[in-house]
Amino acid sequence: MSTHTLDEPKYNFEIVKWFTLSAVVYLVVGTLIGTFIASQLAWPALNFDNPYLTFGRLRPLHTNAVIFAFGGCVLMATAYYIVQRTCGVRLWSDKLAWFTFWGWTTVIVLAVITLPLGYTSGKEYAELEWPIDILIALVWLAFMFNFIMTLATRKSSHIYVANWFFLGMMIMITYLHVGNSMAIPVSLMKSYSAYAGVQDAMVQWWYGHNAVGYFLTAGFLGIMYYFIPKQAEAPIFSYRLSVLHFWALMFGYAWLGAHHLQYTALPDWTGSLGAAVSIAMIIPSWGGAINGMMTLSGAWHKLRDDYILRFLIVSLAFYAMSTFEGPVMSLKTVNALSHYTDWTVGHVHSGALGWVAMVSIGAIYHMVIKLWGRELYSTSLVALHFWMSTIGAVIYICAMWVSGIMQGLMWRATDDYGNLMYTFVESVAAMHPYYALRTIGGLIFFSGAVIMLYNIVMTLRQPAGAGATAASRA
Amino acid sequence: MIQEYFHTDWAAMTATDWWGLFITIAIFFCMVGLYYLVLKPSSKDKLEQHCDFVLKEDSIGRSKYE
Repeated sequence: MSTHTLDEPKYNFEIVKWFTLSAVVYLVVGTLIGTFIASQLAWPALNFDNPYLTFGRLRPLHTNAVIFAFGGCVLMATAYYIVQRTCGVRLWSDKLAWFTFWGWTTVIVLAVITLPLGYTSGKEYAELEWPIDILIALVWLAFMFNFIMTLATRKSSHIYVANWFFLGMMIMITYLHVGNSMAIPVSLMKSYSAYAGVQDAMVQWWYGHNAVGYFLTAGFLGIMYYFIPKQAEAPIFSYRLSVLHFWALMFGYAWLGAHHLQYTALPDWTGSLGAAVSIAMIIPSWGGAINGMMTLSGAWHKLRDDYILRFLIVSLAFYAMSTFEGPVMSLKTVNALSHYTDWTVGHVHSGALGWVAMVSIGAIYHMVIKLWGRELYSTSLVALHFWMSTIGAVIYICAMWVSGIMQGLMWRATDDYGNLMYTFVESVAAMHPYYALRTIGGLIFFSGAVIMLYNIVMTLRQPAGAGATAASRA
Repeated sequence: MIQEYFHTDWAAMTATDWWGLFITIAIFFCMVGLYYLVLKPSSKDKLEQHCDFVLKEDSIGRSKYE
């Protein structure tokens, strides 16, 4: 592993460093809140009868922290890093880049203040009120404009596929955020959606699923297509497959949202279309996952001692698993059992913890080494982090599978006379052991994030060019 | 059963329905075209030459990439 610094004047890596460090801090904070609210579900006394600390207010804080604070900072760090490295030019505008950093940070601070105070638009994954939505749009447009202009001034004739994924994400997220956030303000911190009834639900889930599809998938696939060949020091298995992966994902994802609204007032055909396209999306998703994994073809031995590569490759296993599970859950027959249960929560976390967080963690470790020009303080701590992340995620997901399927079965169980066999509260009581187990899984994952933060802080405190594995000493 | 499932009341189609149908079919054919363009044997060398792009990125601006 090379330890020479990439911090040459030709590139602006200062902005990448700030976004990278912010991402690590937000990972710790976001998973801490997640673990706390998981504990609240298992032990409701932890709500403390305090409105600012109730599950209802902290849950959107958790989702905003992990998706937009952590995920957003990872995307901005990696997009700025990759576009400069693969285009051979400095960012088009340093000022615009710093505007995105401070603007995004302001959005996060405003979320931390307003969500516990109860200001919310009530739209899942888009809870922030209209003035903050406008700020998000401005920052995002600045991010996209700077990225496009950097591409426009590139020194290579080819635009590498990772940049295509980032660009596709930026265009689609602009479209989704503006479309879904259309609202009529009635005061500074209160607005009502511009859409009514079932149209509002449709727009909400067109946005909601595509927040997953474009923000949490397309952008992170850009990360995968850059960092896996880079870390493995091997060419990507098939560039043709990556091109197909990109276009199929861009064309396909926009149609899936309606599968969140099976058995509702939405026309039946829209749910069927959503499910049909979901199933079709297994092909490009698995093609991409296999493409990433097969990049290690002939170099599998590197997985033995390169834990950064392990993070990247295992994330693809979770990606493949959750992109199979999601389409299956969208089928009406399965959805009749799974919807509104913890199975959905488990599915989301298999994507969030297993795919998004782990590919991000691999990319962050890789960038820290390159950006600061020194080996990590401890490779043993990276190994420990890897196992804690994997085991924590698996415990979480398995607990939610059992809990969710049990919930679904209990809710629809009837006796010989057609009466419901269980009351709702009986199903809640039956969930307790699994909610406790979920908290343990989350706690393990969170502890891994704390170890990562410690390892990176200690790395930065070393002199440049310092060697690794103080850990081996520990 | 299948006939009933796929039954469509064409007369009841609104302008939005026709627009949605057109977009769906257009995208389907775009995807078929894309698969053909990417997977045809003559595209192999043209696309696969970039598979080691990130491994050569340090030479961008200095060699053939200029």
